[in-house]
Amino acid sequence: MTFIGKDLKVVGTRPIRPDGVDKVTGRANFGADMTMPGMIWGKIKRSPHAHARIKRIYTEKALSLPGVKAVVTAADFPDIAAEEAFAGEAIMDFRDLSRNCMARGKVLYDGHAVAAVAATSPAIAEAALDLIEIEYEVLPFVIDVEAAMAEDAPLLHDTLFTQGVEPKPSRPSNIAKRINFTKGDVEAGFREADHIIERRYTGKPVHQGYIEPHACVAAVAADGQCMIWSSSQGHFMVRQYCAHLLGIDISNIRAMPAEIGGGFGGKTLVYLEPVALALARKSGRPVKIVMTREEVFRASGPAAGSVVEVKLGAKKDGRLTAGEVVLKYQAGAFPGSPVGPGCMCAFAMYDLPNASVTGYDVVCNRPKVAAYRAPGAPNASWGVESCLDELAIELGIDPLSLREKNAARDGTKAVHGPTWQNIGYAETLAAVRAHPHWTAPLGPGQGRGIASGFWFNIGGESSAAVHIAEDGTAAVATGNPDIGGSRASIAMMVAEVLGIPVERVRAIVADTASIGYTFLTGGSRVTFATGMAATEAAERVVEELKKRAAMMWEISPEAVEWRDGMAYPAGPNAGAFEPLSLGEIAFRSARTGGPISAELSINAQGAGPGFGTHICDVEVDRETGAVKILRYTAIQDVGRAIHPAYVEGQLQGGVTQGIGWALNEEYIYDGEGRLDNPGFLDYRIPVASDLPMIDTVLVEVPNPRHPFGARGVGEVPIVPPTAAVANAIYRAAGVRLRDLPMSPPHVLAALDKSDG
Amino acid sequence: MYEFEYHRPANLDEVGRILGAREEAKIVAGGMTLIPTLKQRLAHPSDLIDLGAISSLRGIREEGDRIVIGAMTRHVEVERSAIVQRGIPALAALAGHIGDPAVRNRGTIGGSIANNDPAADYPAAVLALGGSVKTTKREIAADPFFTGMFETALDPSEIITAVSFPKPQAAAYQKFPNPASRYAIAGVFVARFPNAVRVAVTGAAPCVFRVPEMEAALSRSFSADAIKDIKIPEGGLNTDIHASAEYRAHLVGVMARRAVAACG
Repeated sequence: MTFIGKDLKVVGTRPIRPDGVDKVTGRANFGADMTMPGMIWGKIKRSPHAHARIKRIYTEKALSLPGVKAVVTAADFPDIAAEEAFAGEAIMDFRDLSRNCMARGKVLYDGHAVAAVAATSPAIAEAALDLIEIEYEVLPFVIDVEAAMAEDAPLLHDTLFTQGVEPKPSRPSNIAKRINFTKGDVEAGFREADHIIERRYTGKPVHQGYIEPHACVAAVAADGQCMIWSSSQGHFMVRQYCAHLLGIDISNIRAMPAEIGGGFGGKTLVYLEPVALALARKSGRPVKIVMTREEVFRASGPAAGSVVEVKLGAKKDGRLTAGEVVLKYQAGAFPGSPVGPGCMCAFAMYDLPNASVTGYDVVCNRPKVAAYRAPGAPNASWGVESCLDELAIELGIDPLSLREKNAARDGTKAVHGPTWQNIGYAETLAAVRAHPHWTAPLGPGQGRGIASGFWFNIGGESSAAVHIAEDGTAAVATGNPDIGGSRASIAMMVAEVLGIPVERVRAIVADTASIGYTFLTGGSRVTFATGMAATEAAERVVEELKKRAAMMWEISPEAVEWRDGMAYPAGPNAGAFEPLSLGEIAFRSARTGGPISAELSINAQGAGPGFGTHICDVEVDRETGAVKILRYTAIQDVGRAIHPAYVEGQLQGGVTQGIGWALNEEYIYDGEGRLDNPGFLDYRIPVASDLPMIDTVLVEVPNPRHPFGARGVGEVPIVPPTAAVANAIYRAAGVRLRDLPMSPPHVLAALDKSDG
Repeated sequence: MYEFEYHRPANLDEVGRILGAREEAKIVAGGMTLIPTLKQRLAHPSDLIDLGAISSLRGIREEGDRIVIGAMTRHVEVERSAIVQRGIPALAALAGHIGDPAVRNRGTIGGSIANNDPAADYPAAVLALGGSVKTTKREIAADPFFTGMFETALDPSEIITAVSFPKPQAAAYQKFPNPASRYAIAGVFVARFPNAVRVAVTGAAPCVFRVPEMEAALSRSFSADAIKDIKIPEGGLNTDIHASAEYRAHLVGVMARRAVAACG
């Protein structure tokens, strides 16, 4: 049943978030908060080298330190064969994942785990790390993407041969994969153009910057049953990966979701859990491992750094005739950058008759990249959305008109294949034109830029259970850790279906033994897919409630109507009985057939793609190169905002991270290939005082495949900011920045060059 | 963090006694630098002597044409002090832009000055205002006090009790903060007195320093224009992951001109 277009009582309102009180009072249990009787502490020994062969590991001294209960190295893990897995929004390989959790043979980046200890206190574990001696043969290393692609670059993997090129290469390379797809006739498209523009844009790796470091506790019982408590974006993922990496039956692992302090994609894979499990297995004690912030920076995340080359051809009136992009993405130490989605996102917003997209997935001596909010899309759009702005300027067309002229609409065949249906991109452009921000006056030294962004959003496997309590309240359990407000949105959808106030529905995140399989929290899928499962489960409960009322009245269930949380006799029986409330039916449920509940497992299809357009005003300090964000408006098609305040928060959060990416954030390496800024004193994420209030406009073009019309909303908003800021800087100061971050020294250097 | 003995004495005599008895003892004021250093195991003191209970080290008072600020006075107290706001508003403003609210509610002026971090804000104010540092043993003028990177004229058993500032005719501090830490990448404090102008720079070099060419030019003509052609040599300035020496030299000029302009 669809609720689109219906008069709704709960969906679309802004109730207090159900997880809020625990979080602001410090009662919420995050990854590091779990303790168990007999628990000991694990710590990880990490490589100080960017690239080195491990010749020998001496663990004897560490093991003889009083209090040390176990030491593990790669020898304690099975050496598993290559096998691809789909990890949220990226492809990864179990062999690589195993070697990322614990280096085998070689270390591939500064911070790569090479051994681990468990001891009776963190201080002893720390001291034991110093007693582990490792003999390395230091190897030449390579940090940057184009350097890694060079013929004579140091090779990370002797077994890596470039996929996607003909003939099959005979020599190994750091280029893991080449992707290409084309639409139409690109050469003809460029011949047809009145104007061609060709530019190159670069970006550095940036970290997801979640406030909670990775943390877990693992325990192994004498009979082999394992328990893992951890902060992740998917405890079913934790269960599956740990089982695979350690050779344990899935049924012998129970994974418990901790409250999660941010993930943004960076917690869609495991780092600590397999190590803690190996230590627990060896020591016979529960083992807790908590990363320091330095470890988070050196060994988890980040997003890919990239080089993006863009060529666009257009008629004088701005109509695009052809486009070509080449995307070179850093994967980090193992293959699997998000260059695939980057390629698909590059031109997804435009109706482009002829296009060619080529992507390279390149390994280098940095931590393996992890998903980060719309993985791959910000890199591609940084190039394409900047280049479109440069084209608009050269053609003398305003950048909004240029986008309106070329916007993808229903029926447009996207360069990467699909034909768009029910999309709201043009609606976001119309909202820009109508917004007072678009025409507000600007002062001297100020400028305004716009840029758009796209993300697919996904559906997938989800389970939800709705239980009615004897007092007529409801519990809804799902298998998704709540990183973006899913407990609120799911409780609201269930309350809407049941016809009761949302305060009477409690949403929880159930562990892997307590709910059906649920794919991880990622791809902006939870409110869509798990929300769909919960809605349908609630609908089944309503059917059951009607049956029970019918039984109590001794009439046919078809003659019962459910309205506002009450059963009413309908049809010929209308008015024959007093209506029965949910509470009254629940109270008597033992007499009418037992407890009332429904669980549903689905593979949700039909996620609606998301489009957004942002307006950004900046002021450039010509003497220092500092860029100040004066005003920012994020406009996005959200399908249907279940809890609008949460949706606005998603937009604001994405914009904030995008602005950090634009202006300041970057991984900085020293001459030895070591990360130079692994902490928030040196890695510069924006804070509230750096930014103005970020205004949002929620455009609602419903997704017909979701009962309430919802689309994923969390990822699109990080896509436009880098280009929106650069485009604003150009209009404020007359300089075009094509390298991220646009930090003050870089902006000043560009200003000096343009003045000179 | 390693183990240490914690002391919270009620008076300075007691502090002196512990310091004399324990060679590896360290004094903690607000702890804004020391605690992170301990956490990272970069220091291993035998004893930590917390000055927080010594009330005589706290407070702000006027003494004639000077303002005296107790060593344990927190940044937020300087920021909000009516005496400082009236007498040396630039100092109140400086205190209000140190670090973040958590730092300003814990960090102290004495701790900042004793630590003499190359990028801390207070050393610029003490040096430009020609303040003096009162200790348990003597009173030290600003110029000889700041001797080098994290180095001061304090001897190991000497404790700062207060900092005394003369009230200038006008003063202003302009800093270009590190966007992450809010430490100065370059900060310039300009103070104008009837018979002299003093200019002090923090963040740009290993230690806070004065700029005599700017002081001379401003003494002749107190205007931003008067120093527009004075170039700070890059030699001796810091280069790090946040900024090159060249960029810092440039910023010193810009911040100095803005500080002069802000003096009105």
